[in-house]
Amino acid sequence: MNARGAIAGLALIPFLLAGCSREARQLASDQPQTAPSGPADPRTARYAANFYQVSQGGRYFTWYGCGDCHGRLARGAANLANGSRHAVEALYTAIAAGQSGAHSDYAARVPAEQIWQMAAYLHDLSRHEPARNRRNALDQQGEPQGNRWQGPLQ
Amino acid sequence: MAGAAAVNGGRSPVPLVALLLTGCSGIQSSLDPAGMQAGATFRLFELMIVMCGVMYGAVLLFLGASVWRVRRQLAAAPAIEPADPGLGKGLWAWGGVIVAGLVVLATGSFFVERALAAARAREALQVRVTGHQWWWRIQYRTPDGRWIETANELHLPAGRTARIELGAADVIHSFWVPNVAGKMDVIPGHTNVIDVSPHRLGWFRGQCAEFCGAQHAHMAFDVKVDSPAAFDAWLAQQGRPAAAPADAIAARGMAIVTGGACGLCHVVRGSAATGRAGPDLTHVGGRRSIGAGTLPMSRGALQGWIAQPQALKPGTMMPAVPLDGADADAVAHYLETLR
Ligand code: HEC
Ligand code: HEC
Ligand SMILES: [Cu+2]
Repeated sequence: MNARGAIAGLALIPFLLAGCSREARQLASDQPQTAPSGPADPRTARYAANFYQVSQGGRYFTWYGCGDCHGRLARGAANLANGSRHAVEALYTAIAAGQSGAHSDYAARVPAEQIWQMAAYLHDLSRHEPARNRRNALDQQGEPQGNRWQGPLQ
Repeated sequence: MAGAAAVNGGRSPVPLVALLLTGCSGIQSSLDPAGMQAGATFRLFELMIVMCGVMYGAVLLFLGASVWRVRRQLAAAPAIEPADPGLGKGLWAWGGVIVAGLVVLATGSFFVERALAAARAREALQVRVTGHQWWWRIQYRTPDGRWIETANELHLPAGRTARIELGAADVIHSFWVPNVAGKMDVIPGHTNVIDVSPHRLGWFRGQCAEFCGAQHAHMAFDVKVDSPAAFDAWLAQQGRPAAAPADAIAARGMAIVTGGACGLCHVVRGSAATGRAGPDLTHVGGRRSIGAGTLPMSRGALQGWIAQPQALKPGTMMPAVPLDGADADAVAHYLETLR
């Protein structure tokens, strides 16, 4: 490579690295213990804008068996993917408080952090392009679904 | 070795070598084989060391000889002219030695591969191991066709072959019990199979050998090679549902596990906890460690794990579930009694 090419390559690195911060995560245990206090809650942005939290939300959505009724991409019962309920705090309340008759209040059984993550995931679904949603579904195929686990080995 | 060290005192390198070699035995070492597959690869390794040692010695010998010759005739003309027919012959002979060495190694490798492949023809115990971030799901097929599930602790009968089918739920992992067999990658969407025929009883250690995320280093498992009778008894015990709580504290723990968050992710067979996302807890108290080799099993360690898994294994997929001290203690006590 000539010198100019090398410099151009080096100049690109900061742009590539900028992508990494989208998945920044903190491994210490400062997990939220409470529901959002309102639209201005600073945690809302921290969860909704972070790809790691969003993808963890997709994972727990599968693990907790939400897909049994809502479908794998949340297009089943009460289409969650059409973006009609956008706000993270509204989604949080809907999951935590329960849906009259349809499901019990998950606040009693799911720790707050996972509700935050699932709300961020559902919030993000309508903004995803279909290709990424399909990819997401493919990635989660081998994962446990609620109380069923077929496993990757058939 | 210890005897040799005593005789030699401090004057020779033997004690040092003996000290280094003590690192080779142990519960996670491919230099201390306890199974047919590990034994076969270990013999190939020995052949390679001997072969390469001989070659290396020969190179040093020739080097020494030529240095000696040059020093003797420093002033004189070089002893070998490029046109010297001896040089050409010598190079041909050297090439011949290299080819012969490679043929020996390739033949050894061929026979080891054959021995490993021959295990495929044997009747075998069927086991499925699934890699999850960051723990191992383990299932055994019983003669009557049922699957019995456990986690993070692989029991194997000595003198029999176990055929382990490997799958991954999320990312690539690698299954590695060096005392028993070589590595095998665990790949999402694909089943790999590895045969293991252990013959020495004892505890060994397995470890994920392919970087798979934040807690890759804490993705280990215990391996117990049992006599066939002890293995059958263990498997029958694993197949039974969980024991009913024996006292009031355990009963309180059970109510929390089945009615709280735990039951959405963990199964305790015979109770209302039916989640499949995390390790099967039906006989968790009988295992040796918690969190895929992160902590040794004890009531205190269980309580610590339940109270703050993220502090013990940062990033683990098990969330911290808010429980007050008495509840966490009751849950730990209940889990400890699930043997
Ligand atoms: C037993 C079936 C079932 C399960 C399991 C289930 N849901 Fe629902 N959920 C429903 C139904 C039905 C509705 C619609 C209720 C209505 O419209 O009144 C709903 C509504 C919702 C809503 C509100 C949607 C809206 O637009 O109002 C959210 C958010 C939601 N569920 C999230 C979840 C999450 C997250 C999980 C897993 C932790 C879950 N659900 C598990 C059946 C289920
Ligand atoms: C979101 C799902 C989830 C919930 C809720 C959950 N766990 Fe876990 N649990 C896991 C996962 C995943 C692991 C494996 C973690 C690892 O090793 O990295 C695990 C591991 C464990 C282990 C160690 C098992 C072993 O063999 O190493 C114990 C014990 C345990 N959980 C108990 C509990 C208890 C008690 C609760 C309720 C207070 C609970 N879990 C709630 C997912 C969950
Ligand atoms: Cu790993």
